[in-house]
Amino acid sequence: MKKYIFLIFGVIFGFLLSRAGATTYDFYAQLFLFQDLQLMKVIAAAAGVGMVGIAIMKKLKTRSLMENSTIDFSGKPNKPELIPGALIMGMGWGLAGACPGTALVMLGEGKLGALFTIFGVLVGTLIHGLKQNRQLLREGTATDLAGE
Amino acid sequence: MTEVIVWSGWAGGLAVGIYMLFQFIVSGKALGVSTGYGNFCSYVTKARYFHVGDYVDPNNWRLWFLIGLPLGGLLAALTSPGEIVASFSVGELYDSVFPAALWAKGLVLTVGGIMIGYGARMAGGCPSGHSIAGMSMLNPPSFIASVGFFAGGIIMVQVLFRVFG
Repeated sequence: MKKYIFLIFGVIFGFLLSRAGATTYDFYAQLFLFQDLQLMKVIAAAAGVGMVGIAIMKKLKTRSLMENSTIDFSGKPNKPELIPGALIMGMGWGLAGACPGTALVMLGEGKLGALFTIFGVLVGTLIHGLKQNRQLLREGTATDLAGE
Repeated sequence: MTEVIVWSGWAGGLAVGIYMLFQFIVSGKALGVSTGYGNFCSYVTKARYFHVGDYVDPNNWRLWFLIGLPLGGLLAALTSPGEIVASFSVGELYDSVFPAALWAKGLVLTVGGIMIGYGARMAGGCPSGHSIAGMSMLNPPSFIASVGFFAGGIIMVQVLFRVFG
């Protein structure tokens, strides 16, 4: 089954996040205190090489190996809660010194504080989903609400 | 706390960006983590939201990707020179502003986690999905989200270290 290959992908991405310093708590505090821009460089370099790579793949109409269809580079839609959501997520990012991906990687490194962070992310995701669910029930239809 | 090898920011970011492109080419899927937390919610709630759209079948690629992440961390720790030390330390800087009692520290981290989870769902993504994959696709909402992430982080950390530092 194709989905199991993502176990390996997760291992690779997790390993690289660690090597990039994204699982080192101090880098988060130092970034937002403007003392060490390690993680800013990581995002800038990743997005930079990503922009070039995707521009080329778009031009070549690249097909993915597993789906044999042209890769969809349309990205996530805009939504009214984008800005408040991003600010809340950012505050949690600074408070917990982790993001959804790196908290899981930290756990594998033996950083046990990540257990609390991961639990919190699950709770936050659940609360948001249950709130959306009420709206879903009110509207009675709309399977597309679960998007992104 | 386990000391892991850290590459320079540019080299680390380059590797992460190349990984993101590799995942696109192989699977056609955009990098992203936060949506996958909802897959785990699907197993504990019957709420319809967690069983439609992305969550029709929670046993999908996102679930396995998230399971792989801690294993990647373990691999990174095993290939670093020092011993693996299981610890509740959150690093020198955060330890200096967080309460020392484990329950209180855990509470702070849990609140941080709730904000991360709730905010990421509101924004439709996290730094992986918006800042790395989204900005690479030149998707305007992802640029806005990334600015918001940084603004939120700066506000929180500046206040945290001014008040408790």
